[in-house]
Amino acid sequence: MKRIASLLCFVILLTCFSGCKQSSTVLSPENPVTLTMWHVYGSQTKSPLNDVINEFNQTVGKEKGITINVESVTSSSAIDKALSASANGEPGADTMPDLFTAYPRVVELIGKERLLSWDDYFSEKELSCFYKDFLLEGYFGEELLMLPVAKSAEALYLNKTLFDRFSTATGISVDDLNTFDQVFDTARKYYDWSNGQNFMQINDYYNYAYVGMKANGSELIRNGRLRLDDDAFKTIWIPLAETAIYGGICLEDGYAAARWKTVEIIANTGSTADVLYQPDEVIYADNTTEAIESIALPYPTFTDNTVGVIYRGGGLFAVKNSDERKNQAAYILAKWLTEKDHNLDFVTNAGYLPVTTEAFDALFSDFSIIEKESYRSVYRAVDTMLEDYSFYALPLYDGASGIQLNFEKNVKAVLSSAHNQYVKRVANGEDPDKVLNELVESSLTELKALSTE
Amino acid sequence: MKRLQKINIASILKQIKAEGVSMRRRFVLYIISAIALVLSLILLLLNLFGVMNPTNARVMEVLDTQLLSYTDYIEHDYNKAAAHALSFSDQIEATLEHFLVDNNLTFEDLKNNTEALSALQLELYNTVYLNMQLAPSSGAFYILDTTVNGQSDPQLYNGIYLKYINLYSESTVNNEIALYRGSFSTGKEGNLTFHSGWSNEMRTDFFNNCESEFTKGTYYILSPTVDIPDTWERARYVYTPIRDARDNIIGVCGFEINDLYFQLSKKANDSKLGQLVGALLDEKSEGFAGQFNSNRYNMPSSESVKVSRQNDATVFDFGTEKCIGKTQSIKLGNHTFTVALMMIESQYNAQIRQGQMKTASIILFVVLFAFAYCLFMSKKYVSPILKKIDQVKCSGDHGDQLRIREIDDLFEYLARRNVAYEEQLQSLQAAKQAAEEEAQRTKLAYEKALEEYELAQNEILHLIEDQKKKIVLEDYDFFICNLKTLTPTESRIYELYLEGKTAQEIAAILGIQENTMKYHNKNIYGKLGVSSRKQLLRFAALKQQQDKKGDPNT
Repeated sequence: MKRIASLLCFVILLTCFSGCKQSSTVLSPENPVTLTMWHVYGSQTKSPLNDVINEFNQTVGKEKGITINVESVTSSSAIDKALSASANGEPGADTMPDLFTAYPRVVELIGKERLLSWDDYFSEKELSCFYKDFLLEGYFGEELLMLPVAKSAEALYLNKTLFDRFSTATGISVDDLNTFDQVFDTARKYYDWSNGQNFMQINDYYNYAYVGMKANGSELIRNGRLRLDDDAFKTIWIPLAETAIYGGICLEDGYAAARWKTVEIIANTGSTADVLYQPDEVIYADNTTEAIESIALPYPTFTDNTVGVIYRGGGLFAVKNSDERKNQAAYILAKWLTEKDHNLDFVTNAGYLPVTTEAFDALFSDFSIIEKESYRSVYRAVDTMLEDYSFYALPLYDGASGIQLNFEKNVKAVLSSAHNQYVKRVANGEDPDKVLNELVESSLTELKALSTE
Repeated sequence: MKRLQKINIASILKQIKAEGVSMRRRFVLYIISAIALVLSLILLLLNLFGVMNPTNARVMEVLDTQLLSYTDYIEHDYNKAAAHALSFSDQIEATLEHFLVDNNLTFEDLKNNTEALSALQLELYNTVYLNMQLAPSSGAFYILDTTVNGQSDPQLYNGIYLKYINLYSESTVNNEIALYRGSFSTGKEGNLTFHSGWSNEMRTDFFNNCESEFTKGTYYILSPTVDIPDTWERARYVYTPIRDARDNIIGVCGFEINDLYFQLSKKANDSKLGQLVGALLDEKSEGFAGQFNSNRYNMPSSESVKVSRQNDATVFDFGTEKCIGKTQSIKLGNHTFTVALMMIESQYNAQIRQGQMKTASIILFVVLFAFAYCLFMSKKYVSPILKKIDQVKCSGDHGDQLRIREIDDLFEYLARRNVAYEEQLQSLQAAKQAAEEEAQRTKLAYEKALEEYELAQNEILHLIEDQKKKIVLEDYDFFICNLKTLTPTESRIYELYLEGKTAQEIAAILGIQENTMKYHNKNIYGKLGVSSRKQLLRFAALKQQQDKKGDPNT
């Protein structure tokens, strides 16, 4: 009896004292956590992910005591830079956020030991709902560090309103933009027709080269090195260089959307997510504006036999936290974000592809769930590509991020320099064709030289 | 039920009073009372010295303290931005004046002059950029009351508006800048990223009431929170006037503080209460609106949060959830704003519950401790005494000493008393035996005397009986002898008596008066020597028995 009484007292005391302090390992609205987040899903004008996260904060977040504070909506390269600075403890660097979206290359910048392994939280059944290829990109060794929340493919955007004027004048139609040869030919003609305006911008030369080499039966990357000496690269380089040096392609840095707005270009290849940035109107120098219609077309092909397109493999990362509640909260958000309805709500407002098979099937069986015509145009282009194209994820290898960035920089630098020389030499009375051929050849040599430095 | 309980308690108390309280119970009561008294005193003292306040008061106290420092922080930060805005304005005025002089232009000449306005923007770009870097802000702008397109409807204003593209923290050192408003050439020359909502010039309501506000002597204005056109952002603006040489207001310049920058830069210090939500609010007719340091609470400019009072706290009703906090008014520029610091209602309730649990736990702990202490003390102190008493009760053996001096002395004293008592008992028992033997002897003598007395008594009774018999026979003989002396009437009456008639019946039968009857009776009794009718009838009955047997001596 005495023992029972003692035990009872002990249990009562234990209960009392355990009630004195809120358990620090359990999520509850009485003891909320705030996760900071940096992401790329949005522009300065709109952020569909922020809208969805607001909904999360007001519903599940409120219920479970989780607040997601989006502290930055920016570009993936800006996130890479800031994360790297933070990871290396650079002076003035910001504290690393709890959640961020980035490309797989970020893992080598900050180290995988800092990142949460999603497969410690997601069950096998939950992971089986994801589109397998999307999920595989997120594995680093045995650990799933990057969770797909949205994927994008590449497409060709066209300012149809202005293109129609060009079309009326030259007879070149939208149907003449199926292959890169056709697109480059159109670019040169537009340059002539518009008295020296660029027709287009290529947002990712690395992607262009990667898909082009594949189409020509080769590989851009082998053993972690660029293969610019390969004949297939020369095959895809020549039409590009000819057009860029001639003047049909904008070679400056920056976003294509801004150039659309000021009518510097009327087309660009880029991510399906670029639809978010496409302006509804253009502004002329005299401050007058004009409403425009934009359309998206399938990514131009290189050959008829092998057609392909890059899908971009960004995803959600969580920084491992000693406060287990934060890890749990990250999992709850990730799970909620990838559920069919929330995922569709997010991706269809941002021009992305959903990541679960269920959401994927729902989207491509009914475009009526997409509100805006410009977005429907993007998904129609993707639908066409889903039937005929091979989808490639960019390979991940040591130094991939640096090689990719350098390649972009070098291509623009070489072609821009060549274009300036072309303009100058032609203005000086040299034979345009001869100069062009010469510069195309030299540009390739220069690019190879820069890439081996 | 209560009455029943009262009765029970009363009866129990009565019973306890009557029976007395056991040593153990009395001991436990005293110990618990002592502990409760000490605890009460401690609680009273802690309360008096303010060490232990109710949780709600403690929460409010922390909120008050935090609010005070948060308000100071907000005031300092906005004043800093205002000071930068004033300096910014001076720089623009100076540059503009030089530009106009150098180009031989008046301010009015700038209207519809695209070339001059672009050139002016190029001149002013660095001023905007540098001030943006210095001021605590998410963007900087200047707007002049002129345009490249005077025909435009609605009216447009020319100027530069720069914004940070990426904000991660309060520090804006490494952030890229985008041109939100400004000429295309300014963007190209400055190699700037064009904001996705970029336009050449701006529509603005900055100039509404601007002149009247600034002529009141206001140095700067802090605007209410407004939606930034063509973006998903909201912001406040800290702005000051730009004046020409004649002191006319020709524009405004200042800084943007968007919701995100507010969140990043106006974080409330972490307190014992956990995460606190801070806000700078404008009072509206239907509640409050403004900027919160958590994006969970930022809402479209058209909406507002309802506010109500609850004791000395303010309840913020966001529709989906409530927060509880404190507010303080603050004057920034020409307007009064409200600084608020709050915590989520569930978090607040948890704090209160936690406090209540702590108090309850302390009380429970003390009670349990007192109980356990009583048990321990009872076991160590009372039990040996009781055990010893039982031992003494059962066997009379005092056994080992308890090592409690007073109790051991008591038992020794009791033992000595016990020995004396035994001796006294033995002597008393001997005396008792002698007395009993004496009593036996006395009893026997008494019984013998009593027997003799009874014999004498019987003899006396026998003599008395004999005397009685002798007297009755003499009376009966007199009766028999005098029967013959009765008159006929008297004989008749005598006969009727023998028949069992009463005197009244006889008087009625004989038709004589009662007095006559009495007269006859007197004569009859006198003659026969009887004193009553009863004696008369007894002697008559004896005579009749004798007559039947024929022997008058039977």
